[in-house]
Amino acid sequence: MSLRVLNPNAEVLNKSAALHMNINAAKGLHDVLKTNLGPKGTIKMLVGGAGDIKLTKDGNTLLKEMQIQNPTAIMIARTAVAQDDTSGDGTTSTVIFIGELMRQAERYIDEGMHPRVLVDGFEIAKRATLQFIETFKTQVVMGDEPDHEFLKMVARTALRTKLYEALADQLTEIVVNAVLCIRKPEEPIDLFMVEIMHMRHKFDVDTRLVEGLVLDHGSRHPDMKRRAENCYILTCNVSLEYEKSEINAGFFYSNAEQREAMVAAERRQVDERVKRIIELKNKVCAGNENNFVVINQKGIDPPSLDLLARAGPLVVVIVIMLVAIVYLILILEVDISNNLNQYLEIIALRRAKRRNMERLILACGGEAVNSVDDLTPDCLGWAGLVHEHVLGEEKYTFVENVKNPFSCTILIKGPNDHTIAQIKDAVRDGLRSVKNTIEDEALILGAGAFEIAARRHLVSEVKKTVQGRAQLGVEAFADALLVIPKTLAENSGLDTQDAIIALTGEHDNGNVVGLNLQTGEPIDPHMVGIYDNYTVKRQIINSGPVIASQLLLVDEVIRAGRNMRKPS
Amino acid sequence: MKEIVTIQVGGFANFIGSHFWNFQDDLLGLAEDSQADPVYRNQSLNMDVLYRAGETQQGASTYTPRLVSIDFQGSLGSLSSRGSLYNSAPSSDPLHISTWSGNVSRQVSEPHKKNLFLQSLYEEELEKPTSSVDGPHKFKDEDLVECLQSGVQFWTDFSKVHFHLQSLYEVSGLYVDPEDFNNYGIGKSVFSGGLHGEEITERLRFFVEECDCIQGIQFIVDDSGGFTGVASDFLENIADEYSNTPVLLYSARSPGSCTRPINRNDSILRSLHDAISFSKFSSYCNLIVPIGSPSISKSKATTTLNINDENLFHCSGVYAAALHSTTLPLRMEPPGPAVESQYVTGALDFNRFVTMLACQGRQNIVATLDVAMPAPPLTGNLDQHSFLERLYSLTPELNEDAEDSQAVESMTVHGALHAGGNRASILEVKDSISSAYKSATTRPLFSHLSAALCPLPIPLPFPSMFRNHVSQSGLLLDKPISRSQSRSSLDVHSIPMAARLRSSNAVLPYIEKRLGNLRKLGIQRGSPGTGLLRSWGLEKEEVEDMGEVLSKMVQALNPRPEESSDSD
Repeated sequence: MSLRVLNPNAEVLNKSAALHMNINAAKGLHDVLKTNLGPKGTIKMLVGGAGDIKLTKDGNTLLKEMQIQNPTAIMIARTAVAQDDTSGDGTTSTVIFIGELMRQAERYIDEGMHPRVLVDGFEIAKRATLQFIETFKTQVVMGDEPDHEFLKMVARTALRTKLYEALADQLTEIVVNAVLCIRKPEEPIDLFMVEIMHMRHKFDVDTRLVEGLVLDHGSRHPDMKRRAENCYILTCNVSLEYEKSEINAGFFYSNAEQREAMVAAERRQVDERVKRIIELKNKVCAGNENNFVVINQKGIDPPSLDLLARAGPLVVVIVIMLVAIVYLILILEVDISNNLNQYLEIIALRRAKRRNMERLILACGGEAVNSVDDLTPDCLGWAGLVHEHVLGEEKYTFVENVKNPFSCTILIKGPNDHTIAQIKDAVRDGLRSVKNTIEDEALILGAGAFEIAARRHLVSEVKKTVQGRAQLGVEAFADALLVIPKTLAENSGLDTQDAIIALTGEHDNGNVVGLNLQTGEPIDPHMVGIYDNYTVKRQIINSGPVIASQLLLVDEVIRAGRNMRKPS
Repeated sequence: MKEIVTIQVGGFANFIGSHFWNFQDDLLGLAEDSQADPVYRNQSLNMDVLYRAGETQQGASTYTPRLVSIDFQGSLGSLSSRGSLYNSAPSSDPLHISTWSGNVSRQVSEPHKKNLFLQSLYEEELEKPTSSVDGPHKFKDEDLVECLQSGVQFWTDFSKVHFHLQSLYEVSGLYVDPEDFNNYGIGKSVFSGGLHGEEITERLRFFVEECDCIQGIQFIVDDSGGFTGVASDFLENIADEYSNTPVLLYSARSPGSCTRPINRNDSILRSLHDAISFSKFSSYCNLIVPIGSPSISKSKATTTLNINDENLFHCSGVYAAALHSTTLPLRMEPPGPAVESQYVTGALDFNRFVTMLACQGRQNIVATLDVAMPAPPLTGNLDQHSFLERLYSLTPELNEDAEDSQAVESMTVHGALHAGGNRASILEVKDSISSAYKSATTRPLFSHLSAALCPLPIPLPFPSMFRNHVSQSGLLLDKPISRSQSRSSLDVHSIPMAARLRSSNAVLPYIEKRLGNLRKLGIQRGSPGTGLLRSWGLEKEEVEDMGEVLSKMVQALNPRPEESSDSD
């Protein structure tokens, strides 16, 4: 124990203690997450120290909320979270797969087997499974018109693990359409182009897809109207705020007049920019009843808003023109003066999200303008309807009815934050699953069908080709795969043994079946539309054994400092 | 409107912030209280600069700090991260989960008990509508002060302010102990990973969008740990997104974190952490004020204050008071065209304030903070120039005796008293300070004086740390009033304050030390810290550039060619 000499306070766990510490941590995490799995899983309600409540069925969220302290558990959690980052799903599956691998390993190790041999077996089994997955996967040809049905099936499978069926089915349509909306041929799908906006309002079933954009702010001027049709959209990144002049300058003036003059000059510059925008508006809106909306990434201060709301000199011109025919109008229509005002003003929004600038262009067309010198009618986008919705201090601006959108918004509604958070988690998973499918051009049959088939392959084909005790490693790996169907059955209140026997029986007869969670009978996953993502499964098979092997090969744990045996 | 947005990042920053907002809350309360000293009713301070008005979805109006606070998950104690105003009392009844029809499991973590002080606040709020005065109060003020004196664990324990639901952000999913989250590198990836950055910038945008014309951002960061990594990424983002908005950064360090390094590696780590953090900060803000001397209990502060260095609750109070005073000029109502206000003088806007200190004379963006708490009486037994000498520095690692003919200062004095205990008028303050400057041995190149009539009110949850010769109105007496060692907020109701930001070459050792460490440990051939820096994602060129920038900062202050930079 040379370390003892170096640091008498260091704590050392020897071989079997170290191994069991790792195995127990993995099993502990497995036990926490396993009830989450599948459409019959349990939702977790976390009540924090301050009494605030978090509801989640998402393994990823749960891992982040748990404040894990145990180093082994942290390692597993990091892997699982990385799984979610790269493939968008499968956090829970990763954790329970690692846990089960460790549990299987424990059995053999307790019987005196060396971890090294097991790990070799894991490696062989892993490679064989990854090969098997290539033959097992269901090809989905995407082409120009992706197969709606397949996309819906995979999205529904993902959503039903997070939401009750009716809502999941409703969201399926939304999620698939959202991804198809932003998809461009020959380009990777950027899910950021789907804005996810939420409103604490109405009910979960009012969640909808907005073809266009929903912004979480409104105009900041009382006279700007709240609803406008046929709008030109100007997306710009131009400061319309009275700015302090450059650092250093404008500081040393000798008297008050100089200062006033300076302020006035600076103000004029801003006004000039506003006027350029108004000019453009007058140019494109002349002779028609179209509206003009400015959405700016920078600020717009009240004087500028005022100018825009009144839209400058045009008011005067048209008012004079109209004075002549005002009598006529009085007879024809009473609220024409209202309309008159409406056609003159500009709606302006300030401090738009950076990402929304990109989304706006994709949704409405046109291009983002960085300087008023670049203003041309070609920069303008178009939206059929722009309107505002106010909820307490929160304002939302809808930019809808756009032509050929390449960006859209999923507007989540719900009566409370929990509902919204739940739907958000689910929508995120759904979007990722559709994206993965389009990019993989492949799917894996779900409901445990893959795991049963892979185990059968490992036990009946692969094991024979392996020499010696590594066979046991392959067997352990094969058995560990069963944790997915087993947990699904367990969470549904079914008898695990019966279910697995029924499934393996069918597989031996050459039928690829999964588990019907209602009845416990085997079903064909294709018939009921249960599909999982190819990447997600592949990733789980890939990363699970890597972490498990690393943990199994640990034969000494050293920590100088705090006590590692303290419960996490 | 000239709004300021405040950002607090990290534990100590939030402690300071908590005191800071308590002061503001007291000022707000006293302004409306008809029984309070009339001096509070005409503060001529615009609270809207720091606060925002809003309303809840239920229609109740709210007035909350314009604040984004970032800290660990679990650091809010018994306060919900959604604040206390906008809560629609979440139900923990499993039947209320509308999105999931399956099982629910509850995991309840041990609730943080509200301390006596928070309980009393809570009950006070419940009583408000009835406003009954039956019987003695359940909570005696003495008990409340006593319970805070020793029992503050979280910064929320002594906060009496309501926060907006967007204000408090908890960083979750770090998988490290707070004690291990102690260097730049470990916090580096937090902002960019796991959507934290997205959410944080989104919250900042929420507050900025509301501002008609934002004058600046006041940023307090705890620079002792991993939050510097978070803050520097955040600052970079701000510099990019709000390029015209000046940022004033207080880089605060709690005395407790200045323990001796355990070993050589630890000391290398800390030195590089300091150097890198400082260099990153200085490149993304307009003025940086390092605060937090390792032991204020040994400084000149002890003549008036009895501070326990170990206690964050104690020492953060001093910094918060100083911050409050220095930011007063930014909130003063701008002077009318002709008449001088009798309540305030020396209003500044953020940009002028920052440029005055950072860019006048020479370019030096590092300022030091001096304070006199409570400020000595203007006239009387003390000779005049000693008023200036009574200020002591809160910035560490200074060359106190540096003589600098090019120093620039901004001094704020508020609530100043005569030796007799009557309040000095604005004019008197101006006169005596300027004569103090005249008679001082070293005079700065330029000094700006702001003064206000309104003293610093001492809120109930302020630590009992005044020496026993401080009177109720903050006057320094010759003889102790009571026998007890320290006087609490019940004995001292308000104090006069003087605080000064100073841009001078006194700060040279602070910068030189960081530059020296960076060169010695990071840049020189074969230096021991290169590997560490690389693990923080900093390549050699980048570190060299940082060194270059730091040495420019040194040269600006020290025109003599530097011979040896590693002079520590």
